[in-house]
Amino acid sequence: MSRIDAKVVLLGKNYVGKTCLVNRYIHQRFMPYQITIGAAFGSMKEMVDGKPLVLGIWDTAGHEAYESITRMYYRGAVACILCYDITDKSSFERARFWAGELTNTEPKCKIYLCGTKKDIVDDDQHKRQVELSMAQPLARDFGTELFETSSKTGENIDSLFKTIARDVVQQRTSDTKKHEERTSRDGFILDDKTRQRGCRLVACSLS
Amino acid sequence: MDVILNDIVDANDLRKFRHQYEEQCGRGVPSEKAQFEYSICLVRSRGEQEIKHGIALLEDLFKRTHDPGTRRDCLYYLTLANTRIKNYEQALTFSDAFLKIEPMNRQVKDLQHYAKIQLRKEGLTGMAIVGGAALALGGLIGLGVHLARK
Repeated sequence: MSRIDAKVVLLGKNYVGKTCLVNRYIHQRFMPYQITIGAAFGSMKEMVDGKPLVLGIWDTAGHEAYESITRMYYRGAVACILCYDITDKSSFERARFWAGELTNTEPKCKIYLCGTKKDIVDDDQHKRQVELSMAQPLARDFGTELFETSSKTGENIDSLFKTIARDVVQQRTSDTKKHEERTSRDGFILDDKTRQRGCRLVACSLS
Repeated sequence: MDVILNDIVDANDLRKFRHQYEEQCGRGVPSEKAQFEYSICLVRSRGEQEIKHGIALLEDLFKRTHDPGTRRDCLYYLTLANTRIKNYEQALTFSDAFLKIEPMNRQVKDLQHYAKIQLRKEGLTGMAIVGGAALALGGLIGLGVHLARK
């Protein structure tokens, strides 16, 4: 089994196009109308600063009947692509629901808001139901930029995953730094304790 | 494919869905949802016994449900569960049934492809064993004939 470096999960209402997004990214093809059962998996290697990072991508079923099963799959994810369909306002409400749940249960998981089916509104602006002015504040709350993508044309898909990979590496580098600082600080205390125990042992053997 | 076949359910999830299912069983017939969720946890377990229990629950659900969506999902998880316990022939029966309804489904096609390859590998190993046994038997007969002549 190939090594997975980071777990990424896709969440969102059914028919927003989560599977299409993954298929476009991994297989560079557009195959609409697939209803995911439970969760599907795919992996992809990204390069960050010349080093490989393998993303393990869990594509979950969007149907509400699957809600409790979907919860089993987002655990431990470092990034979530939260999808809504730009042409369907109700899917944006659903995205808000998942966002609330994720921030409570997986505070370490970074959320990337993603409006799908951009090609449809590019062809006909009247089909847009979720304005940028609605979505951008939510993305700002997550501390990430908003992505509007099209799996049909491929627009913005690579940049979405590249951003995720870059953020994962950055986060890990800063986590390692913090950890090193902490161990070098606590190192003295540990040394002190070891020394004390050592003394006591010597004292015992002498008495 | 490896990840899906080796993905293990979280122990707390298994406990939670088992509790829900058993509680409903205690009150009468469990809801289709509770049975489905519990079976999915079971087929994603490590132990073969649990997976087999999951298969039994899925088969039961498949028979009693009237919802085409549930039947479809049962067929997928029956394919997955049988592949996990290396019951490839059975897995192929379920994947064939599924693909008759939805011929382009990627999740099932991937599983089917995997099961077919494994089955072929097993077939080759089986042939090698039979071949080896035949050779050994031939050798023994040869030796017998040789000894008898002496």
